[in-house]
Amino acid sequence: MLNGIGVSKGYGIGRVVIVKEAVATFTPKTNCDVEVERKRFNDAVSEFIASNTARAEKVTASVGEKEGEIILGHIMMIQDPYICSEIEKSIDEGNCAELAVETVCNTFIEMFSSVDDEFTKQRAADVRDIKTEMLNILTGTQTVDLSLLEKGAVLVASELTPSMTACINKENVVGIITELGSKTSHAAILARAMEIPAVLSVPNAVDILKDDELVVVNGMDGEVIKNPNTEEQAHYLQKRLDYIAEKNALASFIGQDTKTADGTKVDLFGNIGTPKDAEKVASYDGEGVGLFRTEFLFMDRSSAPNENEQFEAYKQALLIMKGKQVIIRTLDIGGDKEIPYMGLEKEENAFLGFRAIRYCLNNPEFYKVQLKAIVRASAYGNLAVMVPLVTGVEELRAVKEMIAEIKAELDEQSIPYDKDLKVGVMIETPAASLIADILAKEADFFSIGTNDLTGYTLAVDRGNANVEYLYSTYAPSVIRSIKHIITEAKSAGIPVGMCGEAAADPLMIPLLISFGLDEYSVTATSILSTRKEIARWTKEEADKVAETVLQLDTEKKIVSELKRIVLN
Amino acid sequence: MVSKKVTLTNAQGFHMRPAMNFVQAITKYPCKISVKTPDKEVDGKSVMNLIAACIKCGTEVEIICDGEQENEALDTAIALIESGFGE
Repeated sequence: MLNGIGVSKGYGIGRVVIVKEAVATFTPKTNCDVEVERKRFNDAVSEFIASNTARAEKVTASVGEKEGEIILGHIMMIQDPYICSEIEKSIDEGNCAELAVETVCNTFIEMFSSVDDEFTKQRAADVRDIKTEMLNILTGTQTVDLSLLEKGAVLVASELTPSMTACINKENVVGIITELGSKTSHAAILARAMEIPAVLSVPNAVDILKDDELVVVNGMDGEVIKNPNTEEQAHYLQKRLDYIAEKNALASFIGQDTKTADGTKVDLFGNIGTPKDAEKVASYDGEGVGLFRTEFLFMDRSSAPNENEQFEAYKQALLIMKGKQVIIRTLDIGGDKEIPYMGLEKEENAFLGFRAIRYCLNNPEFYKVQLKAIVRASAYGNLAVMVPLVTGVEELRAVKEMIAEIKAELDEQSIPYDKDLKVGVMIETPAASLIADILAKEADFFSIGTNDLTGYTLAVDRGNANVEYLYSTYAPSVIRSIKHIITEAKSAGIPVGMCGEAAADPLMIPLLISFGLDEYSVTATSILSTRKEIARWTKEEADKVAETVLQLDTEKKIVSELKRIVLN
Repeated sequence: MVSKKVTLTNAQGFHMRPAMNFVQAITKYPCKISVKTPDKEVDGKSVMNLIAACIKCGTEVEIICDGEQENEALDTAIALIESGFGE
């Protein structure tokens, strides 16, 4: 088995087709006729533009507009004034067009590759693609035509260039394997858009795999199985069918309400880390955003983002969600993250230390900037604020007081905001769970953060391999805590959601339905599967599961019982 | 010569799409346009240079326009960046 990075989901079984990029060879010439070489270069650029324009149109029509833009990007790069003037300069020195193109492109490839930024690094692949194509045009080298591949082909190449990917007929290609590339390379984006399983970054794939041999491409786990035996073939064929059936079944849940089998409607939201992620939530039919982590705004930079910058980011997410609720969690960060300008010291026990709301309330000037940006953004949609790591009601009161002050200031300046802005608590500490009744009197909503709640309840550091085995949301203690939080919220009449991984867990869902959870917030790609799982249960069935589970005394028993009932 | 400072607010900074949109929008103006960050200054009409400069979200940049139609060019550039490149 060969390992790589699974960048496009699904399973493909087919015959290997090794694609070797035609290598244009040329003899570097100096002392050339400048006029002749300039004309050759300009003609090649014209040809490049013409063929790529046609290609971009084809990709836009068959794959999508964003994917077509990748090809248009190449057209723009070859016309770039800087790149052109550098190439012309080289030609003026007497170099032949091929040599000029190669030298200048190599400079850019090196420049992009050396930048410590994944996206910029990937642009080196674009320039390599442009260089190869320009040299092919200049030397008249014939290129491989991937549109001619036969049905059931698994493409194997050193690197899949965007221009190669663009020619693929998605009906005939069942898998893609390359030696280079990562999740963010254009080839990966195109493979996902065409829904072809792909595993990239498989070392020496071109040498190890042989033309026409059978191969399995497991895009889920990033695995490639060379020469699968009959058993393996049957196994992956079944997986492939299951995957396709699952995908089609999920597609039927698009546009449906999220409700239990007996018709109780609940909210199904998505978790996001950047405003742009909201588009993904919307595309998976999420009904809102249950957790907008704001940390990204503060990371990888030299000073804190100002109010306007934050305001724009929050507003952008709200506009994308078009009036659906967006719950913004204020900064949740501590000494385990390096953010130099915040002056956080490395702590022995960062997760029990100076972090999240504790840091924010101790730095009110800093925190106020974020709160003000949030309150201002509330004018542009249905926004709610969520306070992380609360352990006492004083913290919630302090935040509400700050928000009241901000509102008064905005009133004076006649700046609009949502007068009914909701302020809720993220319940993720045992303390908050135990005083859920107290908090519920003053919070507008609860959201249970199961990841941290589990860690804090069981006193387990997830990153410590010696104790990691204790970390489980199915522990009787954690399940009781979740039940307690939901019950207290219900009796106080406030909505309660969950934004941890447990909300999308098929084993947990019957329990959450039984306890009465109002809102499930999950990663965008889990939205439809969660909707499907919720639709499986009636309240009565879910109650039976919960009743059984609450009588069991160990995590092991609970897991095996849940598996028995749910995965039967 | 005219110039104005603005902060990049789109999540990805000057990456492929934003840089393309930017160059497309301003290339019609005859004046020289450059984008200046605290540590470098690049040709605003060159996608390649903008990408190579790797300007991230949250960076304050100064847009400098010099020559014919410099005011229009500056307005267009600033409006585009403030809109988050229409992303």
